[in-house]
Amino acid sequence: MIVGEQKPLDEIKGLIGDAENVLVMGCGTCVTVCFAGGAREAATVATSLRMSTKLDGAPKQITEATVQRQCEWEYLEEVSAAVEGADAVVSLGCGVGVQAIAEKFTDAWVVPGLNTSFMGIPVEQGVWEERCAACGECVLGITAGICPIARCSKSLLNGPCGGSEDGHCEVDPETPCAWQLIHDRLNHMDRLEVLMNPQPPKNWKASRDGGPRRIVRDDLRRAAEQEE
Amino acid sequence: MKRVQELLAEIGLEPERVEMFNMSAAMAATFVEAATEMNQRIENLGPNPLRVPQTAGKGA
Ligand code: SF4
Ligand code: SF4
Repeated sequence: MIVGEQKPLDEIKGLIGDAENVLVMGCGTCVTVCFAGGAREAATVATSLRMSTKLDGAPKQITEATVQRQCEWEYLEEVSAAVEGADAVVSLGCGVGVQAIAEKFTDAWVVPGLNTSFMGIPVEQGVWEERCAACGECVLGITAGICPIARCSKSLLNGPCGGSEDGHCEVDPETPCAWQLIHDRLNHMDRLEVLMNPQPPKNWKASRDGGPRRIVRDDLRRAAEQEE
Repeated sequence: MKRVQELLAEIGLEPERVEMFNMSAAMAATFVEAATEMNQRIENLGPNPLRVPQTAGKGA
């Protein structure tokens, strides 16, 4: 899932500035399950803004709405009227949700209520960890299902580095060394021979280094055309 | 409870306006103590400014 964290209330207030009618919009998918931007959090942020702006002596009209997914335009359809009636929209979706709103509603002033942190998993109640950096060419098949791009501080393809100590990373002793984890799991699976093949440099063009990415599926496009 | 107190502080209200006390139904003395403490605390803080429409907002 995409994991996010709410921005401080003061920062959100700064972003909405002097807007009078503010819509706080939650998203019902990733940020709901990581307790950062679902219907419950939208209600909390809306109430906090109502109380806080009243205390400041300049109360604002705050409304709230939550859609199933902010990152698809069709789900935003149902809140069109609310968005168009607002001077500012605080999106509690991830950065994709914020942009989907900006793209769909040309005249809407939309600001982020969350910091989008990473793609990861909950490892225990209240703790999330990064697992994938969307590098575009997945290597999990040769690393025992443990991602060296997202989980090794240096994104090494041939690790560990000399800083690996007692299973921990030199960059942060709280972080397990990803390459120790990979080694241990390959050992457990009796597949250590995988490590005998050094990996060539990775094609980072498939990742962020190649510029914004795009996927075009002609089969799906053709199917959609035929339906029309 | 800690989260609620943090929220109150972010909003601009005194976090000590809310507190949770754990006790059993048989602990009358502890209950009285907690109620007295909260009463004292709230009296010192004064009324919730959001409940007094004439003070903060009007005319600003
Ligand atoms: S190798 Fe790339 S795609 Fe695969 S999990 Fe790691 S970052 Fe994600
Ligand atoms: S100690 Fe391990 S996780 Fe840290 S940079 Fe080196 S190989 Fe990567």
